[in-house]
Amino acid sequence: MLGGVFHAATLFLVAAGLQLVFGVQRIVNLACGSFYALGAYFGFSVVTWALKGGMPQPLLLVALILGGLLLATIGLVVERLLRFIYDRDESFQMLLTFALVLIFEDVIRFFWGTAPYQLGNLYLVYGRLQVGGLTIPVYNLLVIAAAAGIAVLMGWFLARTRWGRIVRATAENRAMSEALGVDMRRVYAGVFTIGTALGTVGGALVVPATAAIHEMGIDLIVEAFAVVVIGGLGSMRGAFVGALAVGVLKAVAIATYPEIEMLAIYVIVIAVLVLRPAGLFGRATA
Amino acid sequence: METTRRKFLGLLGGAAAAAGGLGTPRAHAQAGPIKIGVLPIKAGVGALPGEYGLRGTLWATERINAAGGILGRKIELLVEEESSPKDTVERFRKLALQNKVDVIVGVISTGVGLAIGPVAEELKMLWLSWDGTTQKGVDESMPKPKYSFRSVDNEAEAVMSSILTAKYFKGKFKTVAGLNPDYSYGRDNWAAFLAIMKKYKLGVTPVADLWPKLGTTDFTSHVAALQQAKPDLIFSSLWAADVSIFLKQAHAVGLTANTKLVFPVAGLVHETLKKAFTPEGMILGYNSMYFDMPKPSPLLQQFTKDHQEKYKEWPSYESDHAYFVIAAYKAAVEKAAKASGGKWPSTDQIIQALEGIEVESLSGTRRYREDHIMEANFYQGITTHKNKYDFVTIDPLEVMSTKQIQKASGIGLYEWIESWKV
Repeated sequence: MLGGVFHAATLFLVAAGLQLVFGVQRIVNLACGSFYALGAYFGFSVVTWALKGGMPQPLLLVALILGGLLLATIGLVVERLLRFIYDRDESFQMLLTFALVLIFEDVIRFFWGTAPYQLGNLYLVYGRLQVGGLTIPVYNLLVIAAAAGIAVLMGWFLARTRWGRIVRATAENRAMSEALGVDMRRVYAGVFTIGTALGTVGGALVVPATAAIHEMGIDLIVEAFAVVVIGGLGSMRGAFVGALAVGVLKAVAIATYPEIEMLAIYVIVIAVLVLRPAGLFGRATA
Repeated sequence: METTRRKFLGLLGGAAAAAGGLGTPRAHAQAGPIKIGVLPIKAGVGALPGEYGLRGTLWATERINAAGGILGRKIELLVEEESSPKDTVERFRKLALQNKVDVIVGVISTGVGLAIGPVAEELKMLWLSWDGTTQKGVDESMPKPKYSFRSVDNEAEAVMSSILTAKYFKGKFKTVAGLNPDYSYGRDNWAAFLAIMKKYKLGVTPVADLWPKLGTTDFTSHVAALQQAKPDLIFSSLWAADVSIFLKQAHAVGLTANTKLVFPVAGLVHETLKKAFTPEGMILGYNSMYFDMPKPSPLLQQFTKDHQEKYKEWPSYESDHAYFVIAAYKAAVEKAAKASGGKWPSTDQIIQALEGIEVESLSGTRRYREDHIMEANFYQGITTHKNKYDFVTIDPLEVMSTKQIQKASGIGLYEWIESWKV
């Protein structure tokens, strides 16, 4: 079960990035998976570099989060590119972000090559916890806590801050907010960068437990979409619940009847699409 | 007299002059370098073995060219890419028809190999495959090929590991769990393992069979399921980055401490199997080439050294498959030329020479059987931490020939296992 929650935690971060960008900018950003993969590779490099420079091992988590945030600045560049297609048809937007997925895959190959990267045994730097006969790596708990923390932070940011209100207003009615003097460019650039950061930090956080490998981005996009469909496109709460549902469902399926691991997720996806097309927390649009 | 002259010129690298002068139909093709088309996987999970295959090809080519080429003709590589079956067939056609290559090497995926097989026959294009011979590829669609030469059966390594399981762990385990990639290779391996356990009358009970997708990066749920099933032994034919991710996550929850582990092919990514989380005492397979032989041949020693200097990595077996096909091609051309008086041989003559040919490869002597299937030694053993690296190696080292662990042609894998006398 806890295995499922760990997976759900990273899934939530990527799906949240997808949701935020779609909610405000109305762009289905397939490249969120690439940000995740890039975050993993970059996180690996930052940590390796920092350890060489004498960083004590327990600062691992800090280094990874900082690495993820630093890398998120590429969001600014990508957003500048997307600006050309805000008014275009959705299929163009999908195509462009898919092109970005392919480009980023080659970028990774260019900088890091084809071999997977791992952080040795740093995974256990925070030790293990014995709970009722079960052994749990503390790192897993920290990642889950970090994801939950980010979820709370995002909720607070969107609901309580001035910036959050502007973001929500823009998502609600772009023309009206623009008329009221909101600088749309800055909002879009900011939102997209935060969306990117959710992906890059998510990628960086999983590296100690897994590895940085090429396919990780593509695989996650597919699952993130299942999350988004279940939770409802554009909804933060939806991302949270959807990720938890997919993660736990997967874990339960593997433990009980591994053959249906994928099937189980998509049966739920289909059920949601049929019974509640807008998703659990989504709003129906005309 | 004329024969001697031809042979003389041919051996001197004047094959072009000889052929041109004698006006043979393929005179033009023989004038320039030998063109070899290469099809390595470059993206996705398979990029890893693809890269190793390409490295073996490059190394073989550099060596042959430095020594004067094949019958005096230098090798020129035309590297394309193995991807989906459809696209790879297109590239195969392009290499054959447009680039007019002499031979095509490469291909790792069984699915792609199945698509290439008939095309090679249709185009009469000599194709020496590196890998990609799961049972599906062996049984049905490539009966008696003329232009395709295949690798060793992919299940041979699972067969060997299963025999070693009986040898080392007999009586020490009752329950088993499988963790195998969810495609034909993983399925065949697990089935072969169970069949051999039955054959050896080890009385084992499977308590879990898990099928992660090829290239899975998060095994926390699988590890949890295995913790619940509590098997005495885990058999896993994972072979990519997923091996170390699984071992790391399994180690983190203490799963590797008391469970016996059998990993027939994880040696492909041996450098990722860090001592920090890979236990001693597991059965680990390196397919047909082990980089750290106690008494390496000069060829392997040189390759390992060059590989380490160039790529800062210790080499892996796919390089050996790739080296072998080039070395076999060279030997076949020379053998056929010798038979025909030094003239550059026709494709048919090369094929004839390839059948049954034996050459020294990185891993020792390897050969092509008359039915176009490779014969090689396989290297597996018990993992140890006693070495100079930060990853595990094996000691004792076990060596088995495919004569023992690969089925003969014309018989099904399970039928063959059933026919063993143990």
